[in-house]
Amino acid sequence: MTQGTVTTFAVSGVDPMPVEVQADVGQGLPSFSVVGLGDAAVMEARDRVRSAMRASGYDFPNARIVVNLAPATQRKHGTGFDLPIALAILVATSQIPRAALSGAAAVGELALDGRVLPVAGTLAHAVGAVRIGSVLVGPAACRDSVACVDGLAFHGADTLAQFKHGLPDVAGGRGATASAHAPSADIAAVVGQQSAKRVLELSAAGELNVLFVGPPGAGKTMLARRLPPILPPLEPEQALETAVIHSVAGLDERAVLGGVRPFRAPHHTATTAGLVGGGTPPRPGEASLAHNGVLFLDELAEFGPAALQALRQPLEDGAVRLVRAEGRVTYPARFTLVAAMNPCPCGHLGDAARGTCHCSETAVSRYHARVGGPLLDRIDLTLRVDRVDPDALLDAPVGESSAVVRARVASARAFAAADDRPVVRLLSGAALLAACLLTPSARRAVSASARTYHLSGRGVTRLLRVARTVADLQGAERVEESHVQEAALYRAASL
Amino acid sequence: MMPIPVGGWEVRVHASGYPACLRESPRPPRELRGFGDRTLLRPGLAIVGSRRATPYGESCARVFAAAAGERGVVIISGAAVGCDMAAHTAALAVGGMTVAVLGCGADVDYPASAARLLARMRTDGAVVSELPWGTRPMPYHFPERNRIIAGLAAVVLVVEAGLPSGTFSTADHALDAGRTVLAVPGSVFSANSRGCNRLIQQGAHPVADVSDLLGELQAAGLVPAGFPSSERGFATDAGGGGALSRLEAALAADPMRPDDAARLLCLDIVSVARMLMSLEAQGTITRYPDGRYGPFVRP
Repeated sequence: MTQGTVTTFAVSGVDPMPVEVQADVGQGLPSFSVVGLGDAAVMEARDRVRSAMRASGYDFPNARIVVNLAPATQRKHGTGFDLPIALAILVATSQIPRAALSGAAAVGELALDGRVLPVAGTLAHAVGAVRIGSVLVGPAACRDSVACVDGLAFHGADTLAQFKHGLPDVAGGRGATASAHAPSADIAAVVGQQSAKRVLELSAAGELNVLFVGPPGAGKTMLARRLPPILPPLEPEQALETAVIHSVAGLDERAVLGGVRPFRAPHHTATTAGLVGGGTPPRPGEASLAHNGVLFLDELAEFGPAALQALRQPLEDGAVRLVRAEGRVTYPARFTLVAAMNPCPCGHLGDAARGTCHCSETAVSRYHARVGGPLLDRIDLTLRVDRVDPDALLDAPVGESSAVVRARVASARAFAAADDRPVVRLLSGAALLAACLLTPSARRAVSASARTYHLSGRGVTRLLRVARTVADLQGAERVEESHVQEAALYRAASL
Repeated sequence: MMPIPVGGWEVRVHASGYPACLRESPRPPRELRGFGDRTLLRPGLAIVGSRRATPYGESCARVFAAAAGERGVVIISGAAVGCDMAAHTAALAVGGMTVAVLGCGADVDYPASAARLLARMRTDGAVVSELPWGTRPMPYHFPERNRIIAGLAAVVLVVEAGLPSGTFSTADHALDAGRTVLAVPGSVFSANSRGCNRLIQQGAHPVADVSDLLGELQAAGLVPAGFPSSERGFATDAGGGGALSRLEAALAADPMRPDDAARLLCLDIVSVARMLMSLEAQGTITRYPDGRYGPFVRP
């Protein structure tokens, strides 16, 4: 028999789709063709495979070679097909034992000297291999990451030559161990800013979205960076979900696998594709890279309007669905949005320390309109932050450490879970009302604030969500008047 | 030359319908164009203030305009965003008479956010300008417009002004025309009240409550003498030394942010948040656009 097959995966979004790499080494004029809708990187695999095989001491057959990537109607991208193609040809020409590769999937890029190099998305291949019940053969450099995938047998290879006598040994990865939280981002280092710290705590407890409005130098970015450390560490399955996205995007996924929540802070020049994903081939955007973590948008009003509006879908559904000519792709994107903006174009409106702002009334309202109502409607906590008074800075007591706040957040989440409720951000409508169990005085407070502050329906929903989170932090079954009163402090600015 | 729009009128300086008080002022406009009731162009109370008003300034404009308006005093202002609009709106709300003097053609809606107010005033009050019909607003029109406001008014009340402020030009024109200038004092810490406090220091009469204003209006002959003026003052002393009243007193003296209030009163932010909300519900305190909380009178 002069045919060989090896399984691999084509990653669509973050989903591994099984692909059979079939090699036929037959008679005819010597040639080497790859069919099955591969992109330029897949076509170039021919030259890498030929050189790598020769350098590793194999014979490259002087025959007519056809490699098919089935299903042949699906587009395939990237250099991860190098190793499977080489292995399929080696099986077809009986240079390595056929039995060794039955029930095995392979992924990896080949260097011309035969080394097996890591590729983006290896973690997605690992998930796919477990799903179809096969072992995975791949670059040895990836062994630490894939060790976090439960039930995977991984054979790491450094070079193509290691396959001469079957699969390389199962490599025991160390798993990913990253120090969970960098000490520099401890919330204890924030002096003053009591209300901002309280907002961060509420956001962490209920996964609520936050907007900080304040002049430059008020510490908005510094505050936002304090949010991931007070969030509970990622659960193993959340960590894997997020790590697969990072892997597909070609980023280092080891910190995420260690339980560190992602913190993504794209610059305000980010394009729509950069923010929510897109391009050819489609790649996950910052919103997906922040999955299960924090997406921080500094200078919110400077972002392109199209990019900002594209965030509405993931904020609502927790996923980005891209529809492109070559098909539909879904990336998970459930993140907590922390946004920061100046109060006006010059940044100094209401900033006592830096004198007066000369922005006209219309310039200020135009600046705020750039963000757009629909996006602001999805922000639960809005807070004005200002520079801390120097005197306050000097005599402020040392605040609580992140660990203390994180413990409170965890117990609030546990309280909600014991009540059989999902995290607060997922509540709306009747479910939210049922979860709130408003006391009669709280009900009066809600309708009074709706009237006083001219709240819309969405505004009332946000008020209730925040009030429910306040009650969770206090361990209260029912939402009481005082919870509603506090929630009203964080309502949207009336500009 | 644009034709006179439907409902509009024009009056020349020597014609009989021209307001006498304006004709006697320095540099009277050669021609007035406008809409609405021409009999309203008689000595009244001008209420002016910063366009970037705090709720404090707007509250003052509202309270004083309503008090004078319901006693039959014509309220004159410039229809600008902030104090001006608050004064016109409050005068209309109590069924009073009110005149807007514009820095553009009397048929032009500027600022755009005042369009509805101006539409109402063209029928229920008066909207006037010295500029030809259809003239667009230009920055140099407004100091000249202030001269007409001062000329029409017998008394000019400045409710809130920073330093420097365009409101000062109205006060200057009013002094040139020999009108009474009043000013509402504000916190010495508030940049938005610095102009008013300076006017008082230079000799403007301070107006601390409605009866002060009514006294001045009587002196100017706008309100009959002996008019009952048992008007409330503003200092609402809740009494008691509770944290709530201490917070209210602190914010009334100097608007501040929740964090600063918490520090000043040695309270935690959560209880300050709850107290602010109940003060807001009472309607004595409100959140300013810059995030501070300060005094306020609900419209």
